[in-house]
Amino acid sequence: MKEDDDPALVQRCRDGDRRAFERLVERYQRPVFNAAMRMLHDPQDALDVAQTTFLKAFEHLANYDPNFKFYSWIYRIAVNESLNALGMRKPFQALDGEEPDEGPGPERQAEGEQTRREIDAALMLLSPELRIVLVLRHFTHLSYEDMSEILELPEKTVKSRLYSARQLLREQLLRRGAV
Amino acid sequence: MADSDCLALIHAELDGRLDPQQRAELARRLLADPEVRTLREDLLRLRSMLDAVGDVEPPADLKANVLSALPVPAVPLRPTLWLAARWRYAALLAGVLSAATLVYETVDGPAPGSGELTGTMAARRTALVLDTVALDTGPVRGHVSLYRDASGLGLALELASSAPVDVVVVSGSETLRVNGLGAAAVPDQKKSVALPGSGMGGRRVVDLTFLMSGREVARARLTAPEGR
Repeated sequence: MKEDDDPALVQRCRDGDRRAFERLVERYQRPVFNAAMRMLHDPQDALDVAQTTFLKAFEHLANYDPNFKFYSWIYRIAVNESLNALGMRKPFQALDGEEPDEGPGPERQAEGEQTRREIDAALMLLSPELRIVLVLRHFTHLSYEDMSEILELPEKTVKSRLYSARQLLREQLLRRGAV
Repeated sequence: MADSDCLALIHAELDGRLDPQQRAELARRLLADPEVRTLREDLLRLRSMLDAVGDVEPPADLKANVLSALPVPAVPLRPTLWLAARWRYAALLAGVLSAATLVYETVDGPAPGSGELTGTMAARRTALVLDTVALDTGPVRGHVSLYRDASGLGLALELASSAPVDVVVVSGSETLRVNGLGAAAVPDQKKSVALPGSGMGGRRVVDLTFLMSGREVARARLTAPEGR
Protein backbone atom coordinates (compact mmCIF):
# COMPACT_ATOMS: atom_id res chain seq x y z
CA MET A 1 0.00 0.00 0.00
CA LYS A 2 1.57 3.28 -1.11
CA GLU A 3 1.53 6.23 1.25
CA ASP A 4 -0.67 8.29 -1.03
CA ASP A 5 -3.11 5.73 -2.41
CA ASP A 6 -6.76 5.71 -1.40
CA PRO A 7 -6.71 2.95 1.26
CA ALA A 8 -3.73 4.56 3.00
CA LEU A 9 -5.34 7.99 2.95
CA VAL A 10 -8.62 6.58 4.26
CA GLN A 11 -6.77 4.86 7.08
CA ARG A 12 -5.01 8.10 7.97
CA CYS A 13 -8.37 9.92 7.94
CA ARG A 14 -9.73 7.36 10.35
CA ASP A 15 -6.76 8.05 12.58
CA GLY A 16 -7.78 11.70 12.65
CA ASP A 17 -5.44 13.06 9.96
CA ARG A 18 -7.35 15.85 8.22
CA ARG A 19 -4.55 16.43 5.75
CA ALA A 20 -5.26 12.96 4.36
CA PHE A 21 -8.89 13.87 3.80
CA GLU A 22 -7.76 17.05 2.08
CA ARG A 23 -5.78 14.87 -0.36
CA LEU A 24 -8.88 12.80 -1.09
CA VAL A 25 -10.90 15.96 -1.74
CA GLU A 26 -8.18 17.22 -4.09
CA ARG A 27 -8.19 13.89 -5.91
CA TYR A 28 -11.94 13.53 -6.33
CA GLN A 29 -13.34 17.06 -6.40
CA ARG A 30 -13.04 17.25 -10.16
CA PRO A 31 -14.79 13.96 -11.12
CA VAL A 32 -17.42 14.34 -8.39
CA PHE A 33 -18.22 17.92 -9.38
CA ASN A 34 -18.32 17.00 -13.08
CA ALA A 35 -20.58 14.00 -12.54
CA ALA A 36 -22.97 16.21 -10.54
CA MET A 37 -22.75 18.94 -13.17
CA ARG A 38 -23.73 16.54 -15.97
CA MET A 39 -26.55 15.15 -13.88
CA LEU A 40 -27.95 18.50 -12.74
CA HIS A 41 -26.89 20.95 -15.44
CA ASP A 42 -26.57 23.67 -12.81
CA PRO A 43 -23.23 24.81 -11.35
CA GLN A 44 -24.65 25.87 -7.99
CA ASP A 45 -26.55 22.62 -7.50
CA ALA A 46 -23.48 20.66 -8.60
CA LEU A 47 -21.37 22.57 -6.07
CA ASP A 48 -23.88 21.82 -3.30
CA VAL A 49 -23.92 18.14 -4.24
CA ALA A 50 -20.13 17.94 -4.37
CA GLN A 51 -19.77 19.60 -0.96
CA THR A 52 -22.42 17.40 0.60
CA THR A 53 -20.79 14.32 -0.92
CA PHE A 54 -17.46 15.03 0.72
CA LEU A 55 -18.99 15.98 4.06
CA LYS A 56 -21.04 12.79 4.12
CA ALA A 57 -18.00 10.77 3.14
CA PHE A 58 -16.07 12.28 6.02
CA GLU A 59 -18.85 11.67 8.52
CA HIS A 60 -19.32 8.07 7.43
CA LEU A 61 -15.69 7.08 6.94
CA ALA A 62 -15.97 4.81 9.95
CA ASN A 63 -18.58 2.76 8.08
CA TYR A 64 -16.62 2.54 4.85
CA ASP A 65 -15.59 -1.03 4.02
CA PRO A 66 -11.99 -0.95 2.73
CA ASN A 67 -12.69 -4.10 0.71
CA PHE A 68 -14.54 -1.87 -1.74
CA LYS A 69 -12.91 0.78 -3.89
CA PHE A 70 -13.00 4.20 -2.28
CA TYR A 71 -13.89 5.91 -5.55
CA SER A 72 -16.89 3.59 -6.03
CA TRP A 73 -18.04 4.49 -2.55
CA ILE A 74 -17.69 8.25 -3.02
CA TYR A 75 -19.32 8.15 -6.47
CA ARG A 76 -22.22 6.24 -4.95
CA ILE A 77 -22.70 9.06 -2.44
CA ALA A 78 -22.47 11.62 -5.26
CA VAL A 79 -24.99 9.72 -7.39
CA ASN A 80 -27.45 9.49 -4.50
CA GLU A 81 -27.03 13.17 -3.67
CA SER A 82 -27.54 14.12 -7.33
CA LEU A 83 -30.71 12.04 -7.53
CA ASN A 84 -31.93 13.62 -4.29
CA ALA A 85 -31.25 17.08 -5.70
CA LEU A 86 -33.17 16.21 -8.86
CA GLY A 87 -36.04 14.93 -6.74
CA MET A 88 -36.22 18.27 -4.92
CA ARG A 89 -36.56 20.26 -8.12
CA LYS A 90 -39.76 21.75 -9.40
CA PRO A 91 -41.07 19.75 -12.36
CA PHE A 92 -40.36 22.49 -14.89
CA GLN A 93 -36.71 22.53 -13.93
CA ALA A 94 -36.30 19.13 -15.54
CA LEU A 95 -36.60 20.88 -18.87
CA ASP A 96 -33.99 23.52 -18.14
CA GLY A 97 -31.60 21.66 -20.42
CA GLU A 98 -33.77 22.33 -23.43
CA GLU A 99 -32.02 25.50 -24.39
CA PRO A 100 -33.09 27.27 -27.57
CA ASP A 101 -31.16 26.02 -30.55
CA GLU A 102 -29.61 29.29 -31.68
CA GLY A 103 -27.13 27.75 -34.10
CA PRO A 104 -23.46 28.68 -34.28
CA GLY A 105 -23.26 32.40 -34.93
CA PRO A 106 -20.02 34.19 -35.73
CA GLU A 107 -19.47 35.25 -32.13
CA ARG A 108 -20.41 31.93 -30.66
CA GLN A 109 -17.88 29.96 -28.76
CA ALA A 110 -15.79 27.25 -30.35
CA GLU A 111 -17.27 24.12 -31.86
CA GLY A 112 -16.39 22.14 -28.73
CA GLU A 113 -18.54 24.46 -26.67
CA GLN A 114 -21.43 24.00 -29.09
CA THR A 115 -21.04 20.22 -28.81
CA ARG A 116 -21.07 20.46 -25.05
CA ARG A 117 -24.25 22.51 -25.11
CA GLU A 118 -25.96 20.05 -27.42
CA ILE A 119 -24.91 17.09 -25.31
CA ASP A 120 -25.90 18.78 -22.04
CA ALA A 121 -29.29 19.74 -23.41
CA ALA A 122 -29.97 16.27 -24.81
CA LEU A 123 -28.78 14.62 -21.58
CA MET A 124 -31.32 16.59 -19.57
CA LEU A 125 -34.11 15.09 -21.65
CA LEU A 126 -33.20 11.58 -20.51
CA SER A 127 -34.55 10.13 -17.29
CA PRO A 128 -32.09 10.35 -14.34
CA GLU A 129 -31.71 6.55 -14.36
CA LEU A 130 -30.49 6.58 -17.96
CA ARG A 131 -28.54 9.82 -17.62
CA ILE A 132 -26.48 8.51 -14.73
CA VAL A 133 -25.16 5.50 -16.66
CA LEU A 134 -24.03 7.75 -19.51
CA VAL A 135 -22.36 10.12 -17.07
CA LEU A 136 -20.52 7.36 -15.26
CA ARG A 137 -19.43 5.64 -18.47
CA HIS A 138 -18.53 8.56 -20.71
CA PHE A 139 -17.58 11.39 -18.36
CA THR A 140 -16.23 9.51 -15.37
CA HIS A 141 -14.88 6.70 -17.56
CA LEU A 142 -15.91 3.88 -15.27
CA SER A 143 -16.11 0.21 -16.24
CA TYR A 144 -19.32 -1.82 -16.26
CA GLU A 145 -18.11 -3.51 -13.06
CA ASP A 146 -17.58 -0.22 -11.25
CA MET A 147 -20.91 1.12 -12.44
CA SER A 148 -22.61 -2.03 -11.24
CA GLU A 149 -21.04 -1.57 -7.80
CA ILE A 150 -21.91 2.13 -7.60
CA LEU A 151 -25.48 1.78 -8.80
CA GLU A 152 -26.02 -1.48 -6.94
CA LEU A 153 -27.40 -3.05 -10.09
CA PRO A 154 -26.49 -6.25 -11.93
CA GLU A 155 -23.96 -5.66 -14.70
CA LYS A 156 -26.51 -6.87 -17.23
CA THR A 157 -28.93 -4.13 -16.15
CA VAL A 158 -26.19 -1.53 -16.33
CA LYS A 159 -25.38 -2.55 -19.91
CA SER A 160 -29.02 -2.58 -20.90
CA ARG A 161 -29.55 0.92 -19.48
CA LEU A 162 -26.38 2.17 -21.12
CA TYR A 163 -27.47 0.87 -24.51
CA SER A 164 -30.93 2.41 -24.12
CA ALA A 165 -29.44 5.70 -22.96
CA ARG A 166 -27.14 5.91 -25.97
CA GLN A 167 -29.96 5.10 -28.36
CA LEU A 168 -32.18 7.78 -26.84
CA LEU A 169 -29.37 10.33 -26.76
CA ARG A 170 -28.67 9.58 -30.41
CA GLU A 171 -32.33 10.13 -31.25
CA GLN A 172 -32.39 13.44 -29.33
CA LEU A 173 -29.27 14.66 -31.11
CA LEU A 174 -30.58 13.55 -34.49
CA ARG A 175 -33.75 15.51 -33.80
CA ARG A 176 -31.64 18.57 -33.01
CA GLY A 177 -29.52 18.02 -36.12
CA ALA A 178 -26.41 17.58 -33.98
CA VAL A 179 -25.42 14.09 -35.21
CA MET B 1 -32.52 -3.89 -39.23
CA ALA B 2 -30.37 -4.28 -36.12
CA ASP B 3 -31.65 -6.94 -33.73
CA SER B 4 -30.75 -6.98 -30.05
CA ASP B 5 -27.69 -9.21 -30.60
CA CYS B 6 -26.42 -6.86 -33.24
CA LEU B 7 -27.02 -3.82 -31.01
CA ALA B 8 -25.13 -5.52 -28.21
CA LEU B 9 -22.18 -6.05 -30.57
CA ILE B 10 -22.15 -2.39 -31.61
CA HIS B 11 -22.30 -1.15 -28.02
CA ALA B 12 -19.63 -3.63 -26.96
CA GLU B 13 -17.45 -2.23 -29.73
CA LEU B 14 -18.03 1.30 -28.45
CA ASP B 15 -16.85 0.17 -25.03
CA GLY B 16 -13.85 -1.76 -26.38
CA ARG B 17 -15.29 -5.05 -25.23
CA LEU B 18 -15.32 -7.10 -28.44
CA ASP B 19 -13.37 -10.34 -28.65
CA PRO B 20 -12.08 -11.47 -32.08
CA GLN B 21 -15.04 -13.76 -32.67
CA GLN B 22 -17.55 -11.02 -31.90
CA ARG B 23 -15.60 -8.59 -34.07
CA ALA B 24 -15.89 -10.98 -36.99
CA GLU B 25 -19.61 -11.38 -36.39
CA LEU B 26 -20.11 -7.62 -36.29
CA ALA B 27 -18.14 -7.21 -39.53
CA ARG B 28 -20.38 -9.80 -41.18
CA ARG B 29 -23.52 -7.97 -40.10
CA LEU B 30 -22.15 -4.59 -41.19
CA LEU B 31 -21.50 -5.95 -44.65
CA ALA B 32 -24.97 -7.47 -44.86
CA ASP B 33 -27.09 -4.55 -43.63
CA PRO B 34 -26.74 -0.84 -44.50
CA GLU B 35 -29.05 0.14 -41.61
CA VAL B 36 -26.66 -1.50 -39.18
CA ARG B 37 -23.81 0.45 -40.76
CA THR B 38 -25.71 3.73 -40.34
CA LEU B 39 -26.57 2.97 -36.75
CA ARG B 40 -22.97 2.09 -35.94
CA GLU B 41 -21.67 5.26 -37.61
CA ASP B 42 -24.16 7.38 -35.62
CA LEU B 43 -23.18 5.73 -32.36
CA LEU B 44 -19.46 6.09 -33.10
CA ARG B 45 -20.07 9.77 -33.82
CA LEU B 46 -22.03 10.05 -30.60
CA ARG B 47 -19.15 8.55 -28.65
CA SER B 48 -16.76 11.04 -30.28
CA MET B 49 -19.06 13.88 -29.27
CA LEU B 50 -19.22 12.61 -25.70
CA ASP B 51 -15.43 12.25 -25.62
CA ALA B 52 -15.10 15.81 -26.91
CA VAL B 53 -17.03 17.22 -23.96
CA GLY B 54 -14.27 18.27 -21.62
CA ASP B 55 -14.36 18.48 -17.86
CA VAL B 56 -15.68 21.57 -16.17
CA GLU B 57 -13.26 23.13 -13.73
CA PRO B 58 -14.68 22.76 -10.21
CA PRO B 59 -15.13 26.05 -8.32
CA ALA B 60 -11.92 27.20 -6.69
CA ASP B 61 -13.51 27.35 -3.26
CA LEU B 62 -14.97 23.82 -3.28
CA LYS B 63 -12.11 22.28 -1.35
CA ALA B 64 -11.88 25.17 1.10
CA ASN B 65 -15.64 25.05 1.73
CA VAL B 66 -15.54 21.32 2.40
CA LEU B 67 -12.56 21.54 4.73
CA SER B 68 -13.98 24.46 6.67
CA ALA B 69 -17.28 22.61 7.18
CA LEU B 70 -15.72 19.43 8.54
CA PRO B 71 -16.80 18.67 12.09
CA VAL B 72 -14.09 18.39 14.70
CA PRO B 73 -13.92 14.72 15.71
CA ALA B 74 -13.59 14.18 19.43
CA VAL B 75 -11.82 10.88 18.78
CA PRO B 76 -10.20 9.29 15.73
CA LEU B 77 -12.77 7.60 13.53
CA ARG B 78 -11.57 4.03 14.06
CA PRO B 79 -14.43 1.55 13.95
CA THR B 80 -13.71 0.24 17.43
CA LEU B 81 -13.65 3.69 18.99
CA TRP B 82 -16.71 4.60 16.99
CA LEU B 83 -18.53 1.69 18.58
CA ALA B 84 -17.38 2.81 21.99
CA ALA B 85 -18.67 6.30 21.25
CA ARG B 86 -22.16 4.96 20.65
CA TRP B 87 -22.93 5.24 24.35
CA ARG B 88 -22.32 8.92 24.16
CA TYR B 89 -24.66 9.21 21.18
CA ALA B 90 -27.28 7.17 23.00
CA ALA B 91 -27.07 9.58 25.95
CA LEU B 92 -27.22 12.54 23.57
CA LEU B 93 -30.24 11.06 21.80
CA ALA B 94 -32.00 10.63 25.13
CA GLY B 95 -31.34 14.29 25.88
CA VAL B 96 -32.63 15.38 22.49
CA LEU B 97 -35.78 13.29 22.87
CA SER B 98 -36.43 14.91 26.22
CA ALA B 99 -35.93 18.35 24.72
CA ALA B 100 -38.17 17.47 21.77
CA THR B 101 -40.90 16.36 24.16
CA LEU B 102 -40.69 19.69 25.97
CA VAL B 103 -40.78 21.58 22.68
CA TYR B 104 -43.81 19.59 21.55
CA GLU B 105 -45.60 20.34 24.77
CA THR B 106 -44.83 24.02 24.39
CA VAL B 107 -45.69 24.40 20.73
CA ASP B 108 -48.32 21.80 19.96
CA GLY B 109 -49.72 21.06 23.35
CA PRO B 110 -52.58 22.77 25.10
CA ALA B 111 -52.27 26.51 25.69
CA PRO B 112 -50.05 27.09 28.72
CA GLY B 113 -51.24 28.90 31.78
CA SER B 114 -49.73 32.22 32.72
CA GLY B 115 -47.30 30.62 35.11
CA GLU B 116 -46.12 28.16 32.51
CA LEU B 117 -45.82 30.94 29.95
CA THR B 118 -43.55 32.89 32.23
CA GLY B 119 -41.38 29.83 32.62
CA THR B 120 -41.22 29.29 28.88
CA MET B 121 -40.21 32.88 28.22
CA ALA B 122 -37.61 32.76 30.95
CA ALA B 123 -36.15 29.62 29.46
CA ARG B 124 -35.97 31.22 26.01
CA ARG B 125 -33.91 34.09 27.34
CA THR B 126 -31.06 31.65 27.88
CA ALA B 127 -30.97 30.72 24.20
CA LEU B 128 -28.22 32.28 22.08
CA VAL B 129 -29.25 33.09 18.51
CA LEU B 130 -26.40 32.09 16.18
CA ASP B 131 -27.81 32.89 12.75
CA THR B 132 -31.07 34.16 11.26
CA VAL B 133 -32.46 34.15 7.75
CA ALA B 134 -35.38 36.29 6.63
CA LEU B 135 -37.66 34.89 3.95
CA ASP B 136 -39.05 37.98 2.30
CA THR B 137 -39.77 36.86 -1.23
CA GLY B 138 -41.86 34.02 -2.57
CA PRO B 139 -44.90 32.33 -1.10
CA VAL B 140 -43.31 31.71 2.30
CA ARG B 141 -42.52 34.74 4.50
CA GLY B 142 -40.99 35.01 7.91
CA HIS B 143 -37.80 34.22 9.81
CA VAL B 144 -35.80 31.17 10.67
CA SER B 145 -33.23 31.29 13.45
CA LEU B 146 -30.60 28.87 14.59
CA TYR B 147 -30.06 29.04 18.34
CA ARG B 148 -28.18 27.21 21.04
CA ASP B 149 -29.55 26.61 24.48
CA ALA B 150 -28.77 24.24 27.30
CA SER B 151 -29.94 21.22 25.33
CA GLY B 152 -28.01 22.00 22.17
CA LEU B 153 -28.83 23.51 18.80
CA GLY B 154 -32.37 24.27 17.77
CA LEU B 155 -34.32 26.00 15.07
CA ALA B 156 -37.02 28.59 15.63
CA LEU B 157 -39.34 28.96 12.66
CA GLU B 158 -41.82 31.82 12.32
CA LEU B 159 -43.54 31.43 9.00
CA ALA B 160 -46.59 32.77 7.22
CA SER B 161 -47.88 31.41 3.94
CA SER B 162 -51.01 30.85 1.93
CA ALA B 163 -50.85 27.08 2.41
CA PRO B 164 -49.16 24.70 4.85
CA VAL B 165 -45.41 24.50 4.47
CA ASP B 166 -43.25 21.44 5.16
CA VAL B 167 -39.63 22.07 6.02
CA VAL B 168 -36.87 19.54 5.38
CA VAL B 169 -33.93 20.21 7.68
CA VAL B 170 -30.54 18.70 6.84
CA SER B 171 -27.82 19.04 9.41
CA GLY B 172 -24.75 16.90 8.99
CA SER B 173 -25.94 13.35 8.43
CA GLU B 174 -29.31 14.03 10.07
CA THR B 175 -32.49 14.89 8.19
CA LEU B 176 -35.67 16.08 9.88
CA ARG B 177 -38.98 17.05 8.43
CA VAL B 178 -41.35 19.50 10.09
CA ASN B 179 -44.79 19.43 8.54
CA GLY B 180 -47.68 21.83 8.31
CA LEU B 181 -46.17 25.20 9.25
CA GLY B 182 -47.38 28.65 8.32
CA ALA B 183 -50.92 27.75 7.30
CA ALA B 184 -53.16 30.73 6.62
CA ALA B 185 -55.42 29.78 9.50
CA VAL B 186 -52.51 30.19 11.89
CA PRO B 187 -50.56 33.22 10.70
CA ASP B 188 -47.01 33.67 11.93
CA GLN B 189 -47.07 30.32 13.63
CA LYS B 190 -43.99 29.71 15.76
CA LYS B 191 -42.26 26.39 16.00
CA SER B 192 -39.06 25.29 17.69
CA VAL B 193 -37.20 22.17 16.70
CA ALA B 194 -34.25 20.61 18.52
CA LEU B 195 -31.49 19.38 16.21
CA PRO B 196 -30.16 15.92 17.06
CA GLY B 197 -26.45 15.36 17.48
CA SER B 198 -25.84 19.02 18.15
CA GLY B 199 -23.74 19.13 21.28
CA MET B 200 -20.94 21.66 21.60
CA GLY B 201 -18.48 21.32 18.77
CA GLY B 202 -17.35 22.70 15.48
CA ARG B 203 -19.01 24.78 12.83
CA ARG B 204 -22.34 23.37 11.76
CA VAL B 205 -24.29 24.07 8.62
CA VAL B 206 -28.05 23.58 8.57
CA ASP B 207 -29.84 23.51 5.23
CA LEU B 208 -33.57 24.03 5.03
CA THR B 209 -35.84 23.33 2.11
CA PHE B 210 -39.37 24.69 2.22
CA LEU B 211 -42.03 22.68 0.42
CA MET B 212 -45.61 23.51 -0.45
CA SER B 213 -47.69 20.61 -1.76
CA GLY B 214 -44.46 18.67 -2.10
CA ARG B 215 -42.82 21.30 -4.31
CA GLU B 216 -39.78 23.28 -3.30
CA VAL B 217 -40.58 26.98 -2.82
CA ALA B 218 -37.56 28.26 -0.93
CA ARG B 219 -34.23 27.31 0.56
CA ALA B 220 -32.18 28.70 3.42
CA ARG B 221 -28.84 27.95 5.02
CA LEU B 222 -27.94 28.69 8.61
CA THR B 223 -24.54 28.32 10.17
CA ALA B 224 -23.47 27.80 13.75
CA PRO B 225 -19.95 29.14 14.04
CA GLU B 226 -17.26 27.01 15.59
CA GLY B 227 -17.16 26.94 19.36
CA ARG B 228 -20.55 28.60 19.93
